[in-house]
Amino acid sequence: MVSLLGIRIGPGAAILPKDVKRIHMEFAVKQNDGHLGPRKFWREHLPRLKYHNPAVAMTVSQTTDQSGPATMTIFYTSSSTITVPSTSTLPNNAPQERTVSIDMKHIPASEILSRLSRLTGLETIRATPEEEAMLQNMEEDAKVRQADAKRSVIQQEQRRREADMLRQAKGEMVGQA
Amino acid sequence: MASAKTCITQLGRTSLTTLGRTQYRNPPTSIINYFQQTTRHASSSNPQKSKKKDVSKKKPRTNFTQYDLRAAEQFSLCDAMRYIRAFEVGRPRASPKYDIHIKLRTPKNGPVVRNRLRLPHPVKTDLRICVICPPGSKHASAALKQGAVLVGEDEVFDTVKAGKIEFDRCICHVDSLAKLNKAGLGRVLGPKGLMPSAKLGTVVRDIGASVREMVGGSEYRERLGVVRMAIGQLGFSPEEMQRNIKTFMEAVKKDVAQMSDRVAKEIHEVVMIHPTSSPPPLTQPYVSNHAR
Repeated sequence: MVSLLGIRIGPGAAILPKDVKRIHMEFAVKQNDGHLGPRKFWREHLPRLKYHNPAVAMTVSQTTDQSGPATMTIFYTSSSTITVPSTSTLPNNAPQERTVSIDMKHIPASEILSRLSRLTGLETIRATPEEEAMLQNMEEDAKVRQADAKRSVIQQEQRRREADMLRQAKGEMVGQA
Repeated sequence: MASAKTCITQLGRTSLTTLGRTQYRNPPTSIINYFQQTTRHASSSNPQKSKKKDVSKKKPRTNFTQYDLRAAEQFSLCDAMRYIRAFEVGRPRASPKYDIHIKLRTPKNGPVVRNRLRLPHPVKTDLRICVICPPGSKHASAALKQGAVLVGEDEVFDTVKAGKIEFDRCICHVDSLAKLNKAGLGRVLGPKGLMPSAKLGTVVRDIGASVREMVGGSEYRERLGVVRMAIGQLGFSPEEMQRNIKTFMEAVKKDVAQMSDRVAKEIHEVVMIHPTSSPPPLTQPYVSNHAR
C-alpha cells in the first residue's frame, strides 16, 4: 500500500494540460556525462506523472551514445492554441503536431520536473485528507518503531551482560568446588 | 571476555574466600532479576510454546496457508492496469508485463493443475519451436508452415549434442520417438525441460496443429498452490486484457473441475502483478504535497 501511496502523491504527481499528447525522453544508458538526471526523472517522477495522466503516452528511448544529447520532447495536439515561452523551445514545423523540447543534460531530476512544469503548466496533485492521515500514521509508526528498536537494543545489551555475569559466577563456583 | 573471567577468578582467589561465598549467597540484583525472569518465562510462556510444538508435530500441515482476504484491498482491472502502467512507464510496449497468479485452495500433495492454452492475444510471440520428425515428410512441411524454426531428425540431434540449443520448445512426432530416445538426448534436453514426452503432450501425431497451438500458446502449471502465468503485454488495452484473463480463468476452472473427483481444489485468490525488475519508486519526500 505504501508503494501505491508513493505513486499517487509526491513530486511529479500532477496533471498535464489537455493538449499534451505524448512525452518522449531520449538519453543515454549510463549516467556519466550528465545523463543521471534524466534517468532519475524517468525512475522517480515519470511514474507519478503517468499515473495521473494515463491517456498521455510516455516513451523512453535510451541510446548507447554517452556524449549524445538528453532531451525531452513534448508533443501537442494540432488544435493547441497555448503559447509557450520561447526560451527553451525548439519549434518543429510539422504539419500535424507541435513539439517542444527540453534539454535535460547535466540537469537534476527535480529541476527537469520544474522546467516541465514551467513549460506546460502542470496542475499539481495534493494529498487528500485520507492520504495525509495515512502519511501521518506512517510517521507515527516510524517513531514508535525507532523507540522500540532503541529499547530492545538496550534490553539485549543488559541481557547479554547478565548472562555473562551468570556464566562467570557459575564458572567460579565450579572452580571452587 | 576471557580476560574478564580470569580477572574475577583471580580476585576471588586473592581476596577472602568467605567474601566470595557470601557474594554467591546474596547475588547481585541483576542476577536475581535474571532468575526471576527465566522462571517467569518458564511458568507462563514456555508451556504454550511447547504445546504448540506438540500440536504441529502431531499434525503436519496438509494444506497451504490461506490468508484472510477480507482485509485485502481489491482493484478493478482498469485501476490495476493504471498502476502497473505507471510503474512500467517508458518500457517497450511488447514486453510481457502483466502476470496473473491464481491461488488455489488445495492440499500440498496430489495432482497439480498443468495445461497449455492459446490466449486470444498471445503474450510471447517470439517462441522458437523445434520439431522432431522425418525431414521431407508432410509433417515437416506442416511444421514449417506453422512457424517451426528447426525441423528434422539426425541433424537436429547433432546440433543439440554439440550444445547448440536454439529453441524454447521441442515437440516430437510419434514415429520419431524411438529414434529420439535412442539418440540419448535426455541428458541434454531433460534438465532444460525440453525433452519431449507423451506425459507433457509434446509427443504428438498431428504436428501442424500442435505447432499452431504452441506458437502464441502458453503453458501454465501449479507450483506451491499457485498457478502463475504471463497474461499480457504492456501495450494491451483493458478489453484485450479482459479477454485474456477470462480465457485463462475459464481454462483453469475447467482443469480444476476435471480434477474434482480426485482432489478438492478451489480458486482462492486472483492477483495481477507486474513482474518487473525495478522496484517502484517508494517513499519520496512528500513535503511538496503539504507545501503550497
